[in-house]
Amino acid sequence: MNSKNVIVVKDLLLSYKKGVPIIRDTSFTVKSGSFVFITGPSGSGKSTLLKSFYGELKPQAGFLQIGGVSLNDIKPAKLAFLRKYLGIIFQDYKLIKEWTVKKNVMLPLLIAGYSKEVCEAQTKKLLKHVRLTGKEDYYPLELSGGEQQRVAMARALAHNPVIILADEPTGNLDEYSSRVIWSLLESANEQLGTTIVVVTHSIPTNLKVPFKHHYIEDGRVYEIA
Amino acid sequence: MRSLKNHLSLIIPLFAILFAAEFYFVIEKILKNYEVYLSRDYSIVVVSQKSLTLEELKAYEPSILKIEELDSERIIERLKKSGIELNYSELKNFMPKFYKIYLESFPDEESLRKIKGTLLEIEGISRVETFTKTHEKIFHFLSFLKNISKFFLLIIFVTSVMLVFKQIEIWNLEHSERMYIMALFGAPLWMRTAILVKLSVIDTFISTLLVYFAYLYLLNSNYLKNLLGTEEIIVTSEDIFSDSFWLFILGLTISLFNVFIVSMREPKQPV
Repeated sequence: MNSKNVIVVKDLLLSYKKGVPIIRDTSFTVKSGSFVFITGPSGSGKSTLLKSFYGELKPQAGFLQIGGVSLNDIKPAKLAFLRKYLGIIFQDYKLIKEWTVKKNVMLPLLIAGYSKEVCEAQTKKLLKHVRLTGKEDYYPLELSGGEQQRVAMARALAHNPVIILADEPTGNLDEYSSRVIWSLLESANEQLGTTIVVVTHSIPTNLKVPFKHHYIEDGRVYEIA
Repeated sequence: MRSLKNHLSLIIPLFAILFAAEFYFVIEKILKNYEVYLSRDYSIVVVSQKSLTLEELKAYEPSILKIEELDSERIIERLKKSGIELNYSELKNFMPKFYKIYLESFPDEESLRKIKGTLLEIEGISRVETFTKTHEKIFHFLSFLKNISKFFLLIIFVTSVMLVFKQIEIWNLEHSERMYIMALFGAPLWMRTAILVKLSVIDTFISTLLVYFAYLYLLNSNYLKNLLGTEEIIVTSEDIFSDSFWLFILGLTISLFNVFIVSMREPKQPV
C-alpha cells in the first residue's frame, strides 16, 4: 500500500439498511496533500461516502482506511483519536447553539488539550481569516448562514487537521461567503499541505489549485481525468 | 421555567432517596441513644447468700458496669409496712443480701437471658430478677421501626433511582446535539458528558441541602420531642450535618452512575 495515500477505499459497500446498498464495489485512493472533489446527482451517496470517512457509517463490506487507520471495526476510543486529525465542514454548519462563536472555534483545540492562551490566540487569528473579527461573543443563531459557515470553517481549520472533509460547504451561501470558504480551503491545501475532500454538486470554476474529480453514479465512484 | 422543571425532575427523586437514607440513619442513632438511655435507668436485682464484689462479677460477666447493695433495713421496713406477720428479728439474721446490678448498655432479650444464666451460675446467687417487660416493649417497637425504615428505604431507593435515570436520559437527549458535535471532533466521554456531570453535582448539592434543612426542622420541632418523650435520645444538628456529607456522596454516586450508563451509548446524530 502506498504510504502517501491518506484515504484508501477498496471494494467498499455502504448501506443504511441491509440489502439496500448506497455505495458499492468502490475502490479509489486519495493522496496526501491532494484536493479532491466528489460530485454526483442528489441521492447518489456523496454525503454517505463522506460520513464513512469520519466514522459515522461503518462499511458493510470491503476496506476503508483513513490516515492509516482502518475504519472497518474501529473502537470508539480509536475513532475519537482519529477525529482529532480531521476537520469536518457540514452544509448545516453543526455549530453548538449554546456556545459563542469563539468557543465553537475553540472546540477542536480544547479537545486537543491546548492551553487557554493558545486557544485564544489561534481563535483570534482564525476569526480574522474568516472575516469575523468582532463577532467572537455572538451566538450562532445571531449570525447569517454565510457567517455561520465561516465559523464552521474556522473551527475545521483550528487544529491544523491532516484532512478536511467538507459536505456541500457552500451549498446555501452567498457569493462573498463562498469565496472566503474556497479561498481558505485553497490556502490550507497549498500552504499547509492539508488534504481536502469536498462533496459538492458543482465544482467552482475559479479554483487556483490542481484537483482530482470523482463522480458517483449508481452507487459507484468513477475517477474523472 | 423549563430549566427549573428540569432541575426539579432530578432534585425530587434525589431528595426522596436522601430523605429515606437520612431517615434510616436517624432511626439507627435514636435507637442507639435509646439503648444508652435505658441502660442508665435499668438494673438487675440479684439475691445472694454471700457478699458480692464488682470485680468478682465482672470476671463472669464483663458487661456489668456497677453494683449497689440494697439496705436490708429498708427491705424489712417495706415488709413490715405490707402487714405480713413474721419474726423480723430472726429474719434479719437469715436474710440474704440484695444487689442492684447496672449494665454498660441495654441488652436485647437474648443477651439478657445469657446474663441471667451466667449470674445464676455464680456461687451464692439464688435469684436474679431482670424486670424487662416494659422496656422491651419499647425496644421492640423501635426495632420494628428500624426494619420498617429499611424496607421504606429500599422501595424509595429503587423507585427514585429509576426516576433519576429517566431524568438523566432526558438531559442526554436535550444535550445530544452538542454531545454529537463534540464527538465528531473527537471529544472524549468525560468532555462530552461534562454538562450532565455539572447538572448532577448542582442538583445533588441542592437535594442534600433540602434534606439537611428538612431534618433540622423536624428535629427541632416539639412534635418529635413529644413523640419520643425525651430530648436525650434525639439526634443533634451536628449529627445531621455530618450525615449530609455522606448523603451528598451517596446522591452524587447514584446520579453520576446514571450519567455514565446513559452516556455509554454511542452518540448518534439527533433527529
